[in-house]
Amino acid sequence: MPDPTPPAPNAPDQVGILIDGRPVVVTKGATVLQAAETIGLEIPHYCYHPGLSIAGNCRMCLVEIEKMPKLQIGCATVASQGMVVQSTTERVRRTREGIMEFLLINHPLDCPICDQAGECRLQQYEAAYGAGFSRFTEEKVHFPKRVALGRHVVFDAERCIKCTCCIRFCDEVSGSHELGLFQRGDHSIIGTFPGRPLDDAYSGCTVDVCPVGALTLKEFRFKARVWFLKDVPSVCGGCARGCSVNLATYRNAIHRITPRVNMDVNRHWICDAGRLSHRALDERPRFESPRVRPAPGAGPAGGGPPPDVAHDRGIDAAADLLRAVKERAGAGGLAALVSARLTVEDLRLAVRALAETIGIPRLAVPPHEEGEDDHLLIRKDRTPNVRGAALVGPGAPHAGRVREILDDVTAGRVKGLVVVGEDPVGEGLLAAEAVRSLQALVVIDWWRSPTVEAAHVAIPSCGYGEFEGVFVSFEGRAQRARAALKPRGHVDPVWRILQDLGHRFGLAATYPSASAVFDEVAASVPAFAGLSYRALGSLGAALKVT
Amino acid sequence: MAYEPLLLRNVGKPGSETIDVYLASGGYQGLRRVVKEFAPEKFVEEVKAAGLRGRGGAGFPTGMKWGFLPKTKDRPRYLCVNADESEPGTFKDRLLIEKDPHLVLEGIILSAFAIECHTAFFYIRGEFHTGYRTFAKAIEEARAKGFLGKNILGSGYDLDLILYRGAGAYICGEETALLESLEGKRGLPRIKPPFPAVVGLYGCPTIINNVETLANVTLIAERGASWYAGLGRPPKNTGPKLYCVSGHVKRPGVYEAPLGIPLMELIQERAGGLVHPDRPLKAVVPGGSSMRVLPATKCDVLMDFDSLIAAGSMLGSAGVIVMDSGTCMVWALLSLARFYAHESCGQCTPCREGTGWFVKVLERIERGEGRPGDVDLLIDVASRVEGNTICPFGEAIAWPVDSYARVFREEFEDHVAHGTCPIGATAAR
Repeated sequence: MPDPTPPAPNAPDQVGILIDGRPVVVTKGATVLQAAETIGLEIPHYCYHPGLSIAGNCRMCLVEIEKMPKLQIGCATVASQGMVVQSTTERVRRTREGIMEFLLINHPLDCPICDQAGECRLQQYEAAYGAGFSRFTEEKVHFPKRVALGRHVVFDAERCIKCTCCIRFCDEVSGSHELGLFQRGDHSIIGTFPGRPLDDAYSGCTVDVCPVGALTLKEFRFKARVWFLKDVPSVCGGCARGCSVNLATYRNAIHRITPRVNMDVNRHWICDAGRLSHRALDERPRFESPRVRPAPGAGPAGGGPPPDVAHDRGIDAAADLLRAVKERAGAGGLAALVSARLTVEDLRLAVRALAETIGIPRLAVPPHEEGEDDHLLIRKDRTPNVRGAALVGPGAPHAGRVREILDDVTAGRVKGLVVVGEDPVGEGLLAAEAVRSLQALVVIDWWRSPTVEAAHVAIPSCGYGEFEGVFVSFEGRAQRARAALKPRGHVDPVWRILQDLGHRFGLAATYPSASAVFDEVAASVPAFAGLSYRALGSLGAALKVT
Repeated sequence: MAYEPLLLRNVGKPGSETIDVYLASGGYQGLRRVVKEFAPEKFVEEVKAAGLRGRGGAGFPTGMKWGFLPKTKDRPRYLCVNADESEPGTFKDRLLIEKDPHLVLEGIILSAFAIECHTAFFYIRGEFHTGYRTFAKAIEEARAKGFLGKNILGSGYDLDLILYRGAGAYICGEETALLESLEGKRGLPRIKPPFPAVVGLYGCPTIINNVETLANVTLIAERGASWYAGLGRPPKNTGPKLYCVSGHVKRPGVYEAPLGIPLMELIQERAGGLVHPDRPLKAVVPGGSSMRVLPATKCDVLMDFDSLIAAGSMLGSAGVIVMDSGTCMVWALLSLARFYAHESCGQCTPCREGTGWFVKVLERIERGEGRPGDVDLLIDVASRVEGNTICPFGEAIAWPVDSYARVFREEFEDHVAHGTCPIGATAAR
C-alpha cells in the first residue's frame, strides 16, 4: 500500500514529497526529476543534463502535480514540501506518447546507419513510451546531413531534436559560444557562425551531451556498434588533471574514450586531446620483444635494427651492460630518467630496483609542460602522475636535475643511462654523439621511440590501456586506471620489467600484481595510508597531502 | 445616448499625436494629481479598485500583477511596455501609438511611478515605422515639458524611458520572449516560474504591460477608480475597451465601447454590418486569431472577459474577425496555421513540430487529398500541443485548430469526402 501522505523532512534544509505514492526526501532546491532519480525512478528527458542549465524545451519530463492544472516539467519544477507528483497517470502517458510522436515526425528513422543506435534516447524512449507507430504521412522537413561543425564533430541536422544541450555546453561550460540556434519553427537548426567553425578544445563533449545521433564524433563514426563496446573505467593520461574516463573496447582495441562522471575531478567532461589520445596506440610504432644491440664485432656487419630476443635475454643483456658500467666506472657512472607518466606502481619499482637495488645514485623526472592551464580541465603539466612521482618515486619533475644528468652524459661522466618511459633522443635532449659515448643505454618504453632505436637494450612495456595502476593528479587525488586491453605480444607492465631487472641485482621482493605493489606503497608512504585498489573504488580518493 | 470615447477621445483631431493637442484635452492632469496626492502604493490600490484587467490578451488584473513585485527594493525594477502588437486581427495599440501617444505615455509614467521603477522600456514592433517615429517624438516632447526625466513635475520622482524596436517576430509579444529580445538575445520564451515580477529583465523584478492597459491607467488617474469601476460590466469587467473589427464587415476598424458590448451590436451597428447582403454571418473569432472561433449561432454574446469564456472562447486582444458564409473554414484555418508555423520559435517540441504538421495536413485537405480520419487527427494533435508548451503559443494554434475542426467538422469532412471545397472558395489553389 503506497504511502498516502508526503514524508516529513529530516532536516530544515530538506523537503519531503510523494512521487507515484513513494515518499522521497531531498535537499531543498532539488527538482522533481532529481528527486525521482534518488529513488531510482527515471523521468524521461532529453534536454536536461546535470552539468548544464535547465532549458525545459523537450517537454518529455512533463508530470502531473497535485493542485497544478497543467502538467509540469520535472526538470525545472523545484520540489516543495508536501508536493504530490504522479508520473504514471494516463494523462502523463498520453503526453509522453505525443512528445515522442512529435520528435519523430521529422526524424529520418535511420537507426540502421546511425552511430547513436544502441545508446539513443529516441530509441529508448520510443520503446518505453512511444506508440510504436506514427500517424504522420507527410513529407518530412529536410535538413543538411554530414555537416562538419569542426575538426571532430559531424552534424546530421535531420536527427537533431533541438534540445540545445550542445549550445548550452559551448555557452556555459567550455565558454566558446561557437554554436547557436538558427531559423525558427520546424526549420530550426543548430549551427556555427559564418567563418567560425567549432574549434572548441572540448568539442567532443557536444557529442556526449547530444541525446540522439545528431552530433557524432568524426573519429568514431562507423567504427563500431556501441553494443559491442565494453567500457573500462580508467584515467586519462594526457595531463596532470587525470580525468576519469571510460575506455570503450572491442576486439582488443580502444574505439573511443568518453568522460566518466567524477564530480571531484572532471565532472562530465574531457578535452578533445584526451578523448582522442587512444589513437597514439595505433599510430605510433610498437615493438613486442626486447631488442639487444650486439657488441661491436660480435654480430653481422652493416648495422640495421638490432635483433629481437626473448624477454629474459633482454633483461639479462640490460643487467650485464649496467653491471659492466658499474664495475668500470662505479655506481656514479650510472643515472636514470624516469617518467611521471608512469603509474605509482611503476615508480615504486623504479626506486626499489634502480636506486635501492642497482644503486643508481641519480634518478631524475623530466617535466613536460605545454601551453597554459585553461579555465576548465587542461593543465600545462602534461604528466598524469606528477604528485605520485613526488610522493613515492624519484621526486617531482625537475628540469635542472635532468639537464645535469644529460650534461654528464655529454661530458662522459655518466656511462650508463636507464630511461623509463621517456624519449630524450626524440625530444632533442640527448644528441646522437652523446648517445655514442654511452656504454649502456637501457630503455623501457611502450613504443619504438627514437630513444628506443638508439638503445643498446630496449625492453617493450605495456601501452596506455594495457596496464593497470594508480595515478595521482595535481590535486592529490589517487585514481585507478584499469587494464582495458591485452598487451601486444608478451610485453609486461613497467613495474614488472623493473622488478625482473632488480632481481638480477639481488632484489628480494617479488610482487604478484600491481595491486600488491600498491599495497606496499600504502603500507610505507603515509599519504597513501589505508588505501588499496578496493578503497580507491571507481572515483579514487583524495590523498592526505597538503 | 452616443458613447463618448475615452481612449479614442483625441483620435481624429488634427495633430492628435502632438503634446499640445493632448494637453488641450486635459492631458497630464492625471499625472499631476497622482504624483501630488498619491504615494506609489496608494496608486496601486487605486488601480486595483478600478478593476482594470490587462488588455494584452490574458485579462489579468493589472493592480494584482503589480502587487507580485517583491517588497524588497535592493534591485532595480523595470516596466516594459509590450507594444509588439502582432496578433492577426489586432490593430488597436498601433492606433493609440500613432494617434495619441501621450495617452499611453502618461499611463507609462503613472504605472512606473506606482511600481517605483526608474527605467522603463517601450518595446515596439519592428514593422511599426510610423509608430516608432511618433512615439520617439512624443518622448522628446514629454521630456521637454518635464513629464519624463529627473524630478518629474517637482515630485522628486525620476523616470527614463527607453524606446526599443523589435525585429518583427510574433513570439516577441510573449512577455518573456520580449525580455530576451530586449536583452539582445534570440526571442525565446522563458520557462516560468520564475515569473518576470520576480526575475525579469536582466534578472530584476519586471512588470510587462500592454499599451492599451497603460492608456487605461491614465483614465483611472484622471477620473478616479470609483468612476472607472462603474464603466462596463462591473465588478469584473470594468472600463472602456478597444475592439478591432475586421473581415466581412462594411466598416472595419477600431471601435471603442465599454467592456461587455454585445458582439452583434459591434458588428451590425458600429462596423456597419456585413459586406454582402446575400451572405449571412458564418463565424466570428472574437479575440484575435489565437482564440477559439464562434459559429454564428453563438454570436449572441457580450464582449467582455468572462462572457466570452462562458461562450467557449476568450476576449484575448479583442481582434474581432468576422467571416461570412463565403468563407471556406479549411482555407481560413490553413491560412492561420501557416502563420503560426512560420512564427513558432522552434524552442519546444510540441509547438515546433505540431505547427508544421497542422499545415501539412490542412494543405493536403485543401489539395483534395484529405483522408478519412484527418479531422480527428487534427483535433488529437491539437490536444497534444495544448497545455504542453513553454508559452501560450501552443494554445494559440491548438485552440483555432481544435475549434475550427470541431465547430465546422461537416465542412472539413466534406472537403475530405469530395476532394473539393463545398463553399467554392478557391483562393487556396
